[in-house]
Amino acid sequence: MQKLIIKTTRLSITVLLLMLVTMFSCSENFLDVESDQEQAEQLSSDQSVELVNAIYNRLIQWSMSSFSWNGVSSITSDDADKGSDPGDTGADKHLLDGLLMDPTTLSVGDVWGEHYNANQRVTTAILAIQDFNLEAGLKSRLLGEAKFLRALIYFRLVKCFGGVPLISELSDISSDESLKRATKEETYAFIEQNLQDAIAALPEKSEYPISELGRATKGAAKTLLAKVSMYQGKWQQVKDLTDQVIASGEYGLTPNYEDIWKEIAENNQESIFEIQARGDSPTAGVQGYSVTQGARGEGGWGWGFNTPTQDLVNSYEVGDTRRDATIIFRGETLYDGREVPNTVVNERYNQKAYISANSDAWETGKNIRVLRYAEVLLMNAEAATQLGGDAATPLNAVRTRAGLGNIDNPTQMDVWKERRWELAFEHDRYFDLVRQGRAGDVLRAHGKPFVDGKHEVFPIPQEQINISQGLLEQNPNY
Amino acid sequence: MKIRFLTLCCYFLMQSIWAQQIIKGTVTDVNKVPLPGASVLIKGTTTGSQTDFDGVFSLQASTNDVLVVSYLGYITQEVTVTSSVNYTVILQEDLNQLDEVVVVGYGTQKKAVLTSSVSSVKGADLAKEPILNATQALQGKAAGVQVIASDAPGQASTIIIRGLGTVGGSSDPLYVVDGILTGNINNLNTSDIQTMSVLKDAAAKAIYGNRGANGVIIITTKRGKEGKMQISFDAYTGVRDVLSRVKMANASEYVIYSNEGRLRDLRRDDDPNNDNDTGSFFPTNQLYDTNWLDEITRLGRVSNYNLSLSGGSEKIKAFFSAGLNDEEGILKGNDFRRFTLRSNIDYEISEKLSLSQTASIQLANVTPKIYGAFTTAYKQAPIVPVYDEQGRFGSAAAFNNVGNPVKDLFFQNEKQRFFKVQGSLKLDYKIIEPLTFTSQFSIESEYGRFYSFTDILGSFLAGNPANTEADYFRENPDRERTAASVTHTNHYNWFIDNYVTFNKTFQEAHTIKATFGASAQESRGESLTGYRVNVPLDANLNYILNAGDVDDRQAASGSLGVKDRLYSYFARASYDYKNKYLVSGSYRRDGSSKFQEGNRIGDFFAVSVGWVVTEENFMKNSAFDILKLRASYGEVGNQNVPLQQIVQTTGSGGFYAFGPNQALQQGTTIASTISPDLTWETTEEYNIGAEFTLFDYKLSGEVDFYRKETPDAIVPVALPDVFGLGGFDDHIGSVLNKGVEASLNWKDKIGEKFNYSFGVNFAYNENELAEVKSIFFNESIGGGINNGQYTKRVREGYPLGSFYLYDVIGIDDKGEFVYDDVNNNGLIDEDDRKFMGSFLPKYTLGFNFGIEYNNFDFTVDTYTSLGAKVYNGKKAQRFSNENIEQSVFNNRWTSGRPSNTTPIAFNEVPLSSDYYLESADFFRINNITLGYTLPDSISSFFSSVRIYATAKNPIIFKEFSGFTPELPGSPLGNAGIELDAYPTLKSFHIGINTSF
Repeated sequence: MQKLIIKTTRLSITVLLLMLVTMFSCSENFLDVESDQEQAEQLSSDQSVELVNAIYNRLIQWSMSSFSWNGVSSITSDDADKGSDPGDTGADKHLLDGLLMDPTTLSVGDVWGEHYNANQRVTTAILAIQDFNLEAGLKSRLLGEAKFLRALIYFRLVKCFGGVPLISELSDISSDESLKRATKEETYAFIEQNLQDAIAALPEKSEYPISELGRATKGAAKTLLAKVSMYQGKWQQVKDLTDQVIASGEYGLTPNYEDIWKEIAENNQESIFEIQARGDSPTAGVQGYSVTQGARGEGGWGWGFNTPTQDLVNSYEVGDTRRDATIIFRGETLYDGREVPNTVVNERYNQKAYISANSDAWETGKNIRVLRYAEVLLMNAEAATQLGGDAATPLNAVRTRAGLGNIDNPTQMDVWKERRWELAFEHDRYFDLVRQGRAGDVLRAHGKPFVDGKHEVFPIPQEQINISQGLLEQNPNY
Repeated sequence: MKIRFLTLCCYFLMQSIWAQQIIKGTVTDVNKVPLPGASVLIKGTTTGSQTDFDGVFSLQASTNDVLVVSYLGYITQEVTVTSSVNYTVILQEDLNQLDEVVVVGYGTQKKAVLTSSVSSVKGADLAKEPILNATQALQGKAAGVQVIASDAPGQASTIIIRGLGTVGGSSDPLYVVDGILTGNINNLNTSDIQTMSVLKDAAAKAIYGNRGANGVIIITTKRGKEGKMQISFDAYTGVRDVLSRVKMANASEYVIYSNEGRLRDLRRDDDPNNDNDTGSFFPTNQLYDTNWLDEITRLGRVSNYNLSLSGGSEKIKAFFSAGLNDEEGILKGNDFRRFTLRSNIDYEISEKLSLSQTASIQLANVTPKIYGAFTTAYKQAPIVPVYDEQGRFGSAAAFNNVGNPVKDLFFQNEKQRFFKVQGSLKLDYKIIEPLTFTSQFSIESEYGRFYSFTDILGSFLAGNPANTEADYFRENPDRERTAASVTHTNHYNWFIDNYVTFNKTFQEAHTIKATFGASAQESRGESLTGYRVNVPLDANLNYILNAGDVDDRQAASGSLGVKDRLYSYFARASYDYKNKYLVSGSYRRDGSSKFQEGNRIGDFFAVSVGWVVTEENFMKNSAFDILKLRASYGEVGNQNVPLQQIVQTTGSGGFYAFGPNQALQQGTTIASTISPDLTWETTEEYNIGAEFTLFDYKLSGEVDFYRKETPDAIVPVALPDVFGLGGFDDHIGSVLNKGVEASLNWKDKIGEKFNYSFGVNFAYNENELAEVKSIFFNESIGGGINNGQYTKRVREGYPLGSFYLYDVIGIDDKGEFVYDDVNNNGLIDEDDRKFMGSFLPKYTLGFNFGIEYNNFDFTVDTYTSLGAKVYNGKKAQRFSNENIEQSVFNNRWTSGRPSNTTPIAFNEVPLSSDYYLESADFFRINNITLGYTLPDSISSFFSSVRIYATAKNPIIFKEFSGFTPELPGSPLGNAGIELDAYPTLKSFHIGINTSF
């Protein structure tokens, strides 16, 4: 026993001494401990397409395209009321409806934050893909898609806030410069540059494999650039680009206006860019888009926000089929046979957000139409009224479909009216009025306290100003 | 050889001295443990002897000779020889001796030449009263060691040493048990503890490098001593009960209050026609008047048994112990049982080589019950019965959202099992004088098993008498009836430490003591969970997963943690000149795999100096026995900080539908990024202090001043939205703690039979987030109370854990709260909140008193905490038709009896305000113990028997209206918030200490 103990002890001493020797002898490296954990996960070139898909994914987010966005881009206008029960504010939609928003209004902050979140995905994708060794065509297309989406994001931002910080690098967070707002002109120039690149890089709609339907196209980039140009009054550019889109033969009007927002018409000939939504499980729909705008109350299927105004109803010319295609009236029977009972809370709802299947689901298959051919025609017509030329043909194509008679010598005001009817509830009206320079007159007439020099843009979220220590400057009069 | 020489001397002396006789005697310590090798000398001569293995001596002496009995570490005693031939000498341990040794990192130091701030608690003091977790025993005993005690079964106390130095990291000290660095001492049997040293300043902590910043508690366990086997058996048993009960409204008061609240709602809503509609009121005649706290609690019982054996020969010394602790908590069904085993063996292989082995095993069985039941009991209406007439659980589903706490406890079917082993082999090799080489290999492994069974259907049916099985299965006929899960966890930790110690005094003046070495540690954890549904209700099958059906969603899951590696060099050197001028330095270089490459290696150090003034000639005649001044500075780290290792994580960027069939395509993006600079936090600490003893060591004391700054504290950063990235943590904060610690102890005797002592210790600490160096600092909010309200905020210039609340400045003429509109904008908004103090106390004070008279001993320990605040979270959580405290009922505002302190009966979620913030100041008697040691004549079989009675926490003086002002938790979480908290208990114990 004693011997055994001594033996064991000798062994352990030897082992320990060996360990000690080892420990000291390799002293140079001893402290260089290894970690079993990876330090940074690297993106690989196989993920190029996924990096761009991740940007599209931001388009279906709640704050990006749904409740907050409706609050900012629609409820503020004379087309829409807050809707729902009077006491149900939807957090702050009553403030937006009354143009009472301030720098703490949540929806405005959501829109700001979510757009930059999406922009971060753009930046991530572009910086990574630039360095990848990819087949040239694919690489150029993916960069083009990302740039188109960047332009879409910044166009929304510039319309909402004016000039904004332009973030296109994974910026050094200690750099104060990146927090400063660019001017509105610089922002537009940035958008235009991205769209020029996208136009050069992207294929036409027909050149895509069918499985990739829904991606940004050359036509979409041209249409968006036309619209961006229109916002800057660059009429020749509007005219040229819309002419090109019309001449491309890629697009046409849907014969029946009401059909455009049915599932059968998704991505049809009129569609230039739309946010793709899938309602079947597994879902990837625009979060809450349909349900927040669905009819509220007994027999309804939604929360009842963003409802068409009486003013909009009254504005249509007699015989305009777009009135009933745009608006669900309490008590009516919809195209799919659904009866909207008189027990629902509001008199009218937004039909463009309505979907037959799973209408009350959080994520439905409702695609949001962002750019469509009818708007190309209207932009073409408006450019013609500014430059001289044939405004009647494109305008009357739109009017004819709506069941209205021709206007022989349309004025800019004729086009503007047409835009309201054609594009109601397509997140256009408020910004269009500001562009047209008559937002104050129109909205004050509608009873909203629009202040010139203030309400053309929304406030920069106060929390973001605070966190930037004032580098981010507030818009005037907020 | 020495003994032989002495015997020889005796022999010659014997020849020459007249009237000599042979006397015999035994030398023991106070516990009757024989002291072998004690020296016995006749005063004024060189005649003497030494005690043998059994502590027995014999020598020739004459009557009136004075025997001088001495033993290292004990007070020398003189005994006058009488006509008796038999003597028993009991030596008292010498607590004041210059030779007293303090355990420090990787070695020991003589207290006399120590230049750092260390508080020590002796194991012997821990055994005198019932203490389950040794952390508890530190409360009020060591200045600067704040102990937030919890009386929940098996729960350790939270310890904060010299203030919180981190915002998001752990503030727990490092525990070192027999050289094993570990995170807690829950597995430790208190009776096994020999000493506890709390290392407080940088000079003491720096040798523990990046784990030392929160302080270090070094524990050594008992070891065998040479001599015959000693057996001791200790036991105690006791009962425990809630110390402070909160008096709730009874049924009739509840009905009145709720109806008034309802009336207020009716008058405030939009409908003017219902203002006097009493249709929805509670009827005043109620069948039941339930006291929910009584229904969920019982008298707690605790008993503890401990058996130890120790002894050994010159070569082999051993200590064995077994302990059993059994506790029935005050919450019904909440049980805790712990069994511990220990074996510590020292084996002297040769003169140069010795081997020490340490091993301990802990087994714990826990039946947990949710402490949220205390909140549920607080809130549930007294008009709800525990069981209704049909024997079903009473339900308030019709009028509030609170469960039946008895039902909740009934349906909680869980068991936990823990098994922990901790042990080491240590080898000491005396290479050549004065060099010793030490090598220690240690392991620690902990296994946990967690069983849970949920009768989902049964709980659903019991939740509301209106619920039916048909309701349950309406949505999904295959819905699970029951669910069970079993989780196994395992965590291991191994270390190897090798170091060399040098200890030599040159020319009897220059003493150099040095230690240097290397250490390696690796640890890793893993877990595995299995999950099944529809496991049968049969109690024998509850935890048998195979008895159930596989559930697709969560059949099994497991994880294997990342292995942590920590490799280090360390060194310490101290020099003293004639015990007078002292200099010491220590250093550690750590490489930790927790951090990112480039940030793994850190250097930590401390330097300290001391001056023992009493060694100077000019102090020879002063009242001071010892006066030592010392100062230190050092930089120590805390690696338990919030961090994720991965600088950049790629993750799912969600899906998007493309193509006519809307086929989903995967997205990928960068899911998160963190600061690549994240690493340990470093604390820079200055300390100056003085230690002294006066009047023949009767009075001793210590004073320390410190300034402890963590200039690179990790705090959350919120990037501006434009960067599109979430927030993360970075080293941008600076946390400052400044304070004073003082302690004074007086110990004396009156006559031979009356010993007494008292001690007082005091600490003051000021905590502040002194500076934040980034503009992107995120002033994190915290202290949420689960109803949408938060109570705390981190802000530069304020203490950590500060409450940030609305200020109630009165009650208006309608009985409503009036809040201070700080920014005068006519609204009560976020900007109207104010900082209202922190859960951290500013002052803590301990007062301890003890007397020994004849065979009686009596001790009283008290603890005082001042300057902290506590938020009454359970009261602030009250929502409609939940119960209120009786004082709220009695003092509420009514139109007939306006109040300016308590508002009208109301039902909304209240804003978090100072109405719910109370002072956490308290003074509590922690312990009163009266012991009696049986005279030797009664206990001839035993060498010593002591019986005692203890009252723990019998009395508290506090302002707080709740169950306990001691509320542990994370600083930005529930620390200082009474919500789902376990009450402080008072307990009464009787116990026995025997040795034979």
